[in-house]
Amino acid sequence: MDEFNNILHAVFKVPLEKISDVLTPKDIPEWDSMNYLFFISELEKKFGFSFTMDEVINAQTVGDVRAVVLKRGKNNG
Amino acid sequence: MDNVAAHRTLSDITIGETADFERTISESDVSAFAHLSGDFNPLHVDSAYAQKTKFGRRLVHGMLLGSLCSRMVGMYVPGEKCLYLRQTLTFKKPVHIGDTVKVLGRVASKSVSTKIIEVEISMLRDGEEVVSGVATVQLLE
Repeated sequence: MDEFNNILHAVFKVPLEKISDVLTPKDIPEWDSMNYLFFISELEKKFGFSFTMDEVINAQTVGDVRAVVLKRGKNNG
Repeated sequence: MDNVAAHRTLSDITIGETADFERTISESDVSAFAHLSGDFNPLHVDSAYAQKTKFGRRLVHGMLLGSLCSRMVGMYVPGEKCLYLRQTLTFKKPVHIGDTVKVLGRVASKSVSTKIIEVEISMLRDGEEVVSGVATVQLLE
């Protein structure tokens, strides 16, 4: 999931070494509603699938988003 | 110029679709943009000054050209429902007063879940690319 972390790093400016699945929006200052949409959009492009609206709304942590990518992404390595 | 924005829904918009228009940049455009932006840099507004530079004559403000990206996304793709989120621009060649640029827009990506669309924009003068960039917009539905 290096690509996932790289996208998260690029969008939210989180140092790669500090990325973990337990991070929430409260832990990431750059995680606002617009950047979150950019994040989802970039993941969709990279991993070749579309999130559902429920998946976008219900994700509470980085791990929740990663789980969707692992489950449905076409290139999730 | 038709002043009515295209009315498009997300499902209407397809990756790869294109739109284009042309614009000749006039003396009054540059003067109006200088007043609008407050950028009276002599390279744009002082012919005698510009003549002494490597360009030989006045340049059109880069951001005047950039404003044509606003027309692309606000009027063509996606049009009426556009909310402008982000824009990249690269100014590749100087553009002068009297030049005509053809502005091409191509839908590069579309996210159904976020309604975010990326439009690659290229501006050509006599077939040569002078400006390129990517507009990121959201469709308000």
